Amino acid sequence: MTSEHLRIDVRNAPDRVVLVLHGELDLLGAPLLQKQVESAEVEAKGIVVLDLEELQFIDSAGLRVILAAHERAQDQGHELALTQGPEQVRRLFTIAGVNKHLRIIGSPDELLV
Amino acid sequence: MSLLIEAGMVMASSLDLGTTMGQVARLTVPRLADLCVIDLLDEDDSIRDVAVACSDEALARELEQLRATYPLDPHGGHPVAQVIRSGEAVLLPEMSSSLLSSFAQGSKHAEFMIEHGYRSAVVAPLQARERTLGALSVLRLGDGRVYGKDDEALVLELARRAALAIDNARLFSELHRVQIAESFMAEASRVLASSMDYEETLKRVTRLVVPQIADWCAIDLLDGGREIERVATHHVDPARLQLAERLDREYRPTLDEPLGVPEVIRTGEARIFTEIPPEALAEYSRDSEHLALLSAVGANAVIIVPMIGAAGTIGAITLVSSESTHKLSQADLALAERLARRAGTAVENARLYTERSRIAHTLQQALLPESLPQVPGAEIVARYCAAGELNEVGGDFYDVLEQGAERWMLMIGDVCGKGPRAAGVTALARHTLRAAAMSGQMPPQMLGTLHRALRRQPPGADLCTVCLVTMERTSKGARLKIALAGHPPPLLIDPEGRARPIGRPGTLLGVLDSIEFAETDAELQPGETLLLYTDGVVEAGRPNAQLGEEGLIELCRAAPTLGLGELLERIEHAALDRAEESLRDDLALLGLRLSQGEPSRR
Repeated sequence: MTSEHLRIDVRNAPDRVVLVLHGELDLLGAPLLQKQVESAEVEAKGIVVLDLEELQFIDSAGLRVILAAHERAQDQGHELALTQGPEQVRRLFTIAGVNKHLRIIGSPDELLV
Repeated sequence: MSLLIEAGMVMASSLDLGTTMGQVARLTVPRLADLCVIDLLDEDDSIRDVAVACSDEALARELEQLRATYPLDPHGGHPVAQVIRSGEAVLLPEMSSSLLSSFAQGSKHAEFMIEHGYRSAVVAPLQARERTLGALSVLRLGDGRVYGKDDEALVLELARRAALAIDNARLFSELHRVQIAESFMAEASRVLASSMDYEETLKRVTRLVVPQIADWCAIDLLDGGREIERVATHHVDPARLQLAERLDREYRPTLDEPLGVPEVIRTGEARIFTEIPPEALAEYSRDSEHLALLSAVGANAVIIVPMIGAAGTIGAITLVSSESTHKLSQADLALAERLARRAGTAVENARLYTERSRIAHTLQQALLPESLPQVPGAEIVARYCAAGELNEVGGDFYDVLEQGAERWMLMIGDVCGKGPRAAGVTALARHTLRAAAMSGQMPPQMLGTLHRALRRQPPGADLCTVCLVTMERTSKGARLKIALAGHPPPLLIDPEGRARPIGRPGTLLGVLDSIEFAETDAELQPGETLLLYTDGVVEAGRPNAQLGEEGLIELCRAAPTLGLGELLERIEHAALDRAEESLRDDLALLGLRLSQGEPSRR
């Protein structure tokens, strides 16, 4: 699925759903991610991974969707993890002060305990 | 046979009906006839002579005059009327005086025919696509040879070919009219969509209508629902344009007048006047000077069409033909109505847009301080640029507060999103921070207060980033404390233009359960600059030409040679250049510079 600048590929692994994000996650792309994350949660395998390696840009509107998903995961007892992504993405997470709240993994298929 | 060939050449040479028929009629004289008349049936069922040719030119003109005064009765006994009704040719080898009198349109007509020796005639129908368009008549005068069956056959063939030419010319002119109408509408639509300044747009519309459709065009709008206001006038003749403008100035109609623009605006119904008899003009005019002006501007036909918006008629477009080249007709009415519909929509959209922009502008102003406080020995400058359409309210804010004699607080923030909701949250953020500061809270507490206020908002995860800087004057310069909540760290630019970010990341506000902040201490020396900004600055040009913090630091190298205002302006321009005019996020800049060499205490 695509919005103007964002494309999301969905990959179903045995224990998780991986959403691979391409392009720009901003105010325009946020609704698409929101929809995709919610339907991935319904798959109910317990783990949703956001693969950010191919993401070119994220802003606070994009971060808001990820944080909302993080809150739902905590409330509902499933796991949300993400890969750290390129420099711009990492920097935004750092500035936003959210790194220690999120589960950041090295690769989308890394084992989660 | 050569007559038919020549006629064919004449008919192929032009698609102008009047010219062609005149040439055909003249070809028959004198080879086939002493007098030839071509009559056509008009849309209103009247019979009109379109061509008269005669060996005696004076007789031809006299006949034309006679026909104008005594038109042929389409239901009467004149051979032309009969042929047009029946579609069958008539051969009248020898016409007696009593026969001529029997079908004459009155005694003058009878006298004319007898006096000029009407003797023998063939009248053939002009038929194409199974319709009779008119009749072609050939006549012998005096004591010439009388017509026989062979002549009748030749006239029939000539009439058949002439009818085809007429039909083609009519089709062509219809097609031509449709083409003109379509290209006119395409052009008008382009003009109407070109700008949100509707008065200018409507002026351009009148310049399009004149001279393509009419000689004179005026557009009136209903102002405030009561006054009729002229917004555009154009006339093909500059001298008469001045008269038309004077007419509007001195005799502007009021809404209660029975006729003209007021009537069309009141009823919402288009009006067309294809004839303007002098009596009607006299009745419409208010006084003799008005009448003189109206006559001087000139009108032989008028169309007035309403411009209709969502809540009713908002104005009217008046089209007037005053030259004889193109007299306005029913076909023009349809086109004028289409134009008025488009123009009505365009005006309405422009008005809505202007209204929304005004609201947005007012709202935006409420989110930003009207002026920044004066800080002795220091300069503070802000720049703000909203992204996107005029009518979108952005989420960036900044403020500067004085907190006692030697203490100031600078704040800058960014609320995620755009539009009314983001504007509401932005106002909440700015005023919550102000109130917290005034009640004596320190920056980390202030951020906590705002965080809780955001969390109490209805669900929807309102997210906000903030940078707070407190500045306390010291003998050497100023002591700074920087607190960040999800916000990019400000840059400290030294007198050589070297910039470095200062401040440690803190959690953004409004989303997570737990938040953490750490204040960072720094010194600001005279000649040094502190630059606060929102992410719209560094994200401009994303994803491929993003300015980034590195680009911003690079721009700051020019700081020593620039005034603070110039520096901020240069940064804003650089960001806008990156964004290639389509900024996707607001950008805000707030700069603080300590004056060099001045005493730092008041």
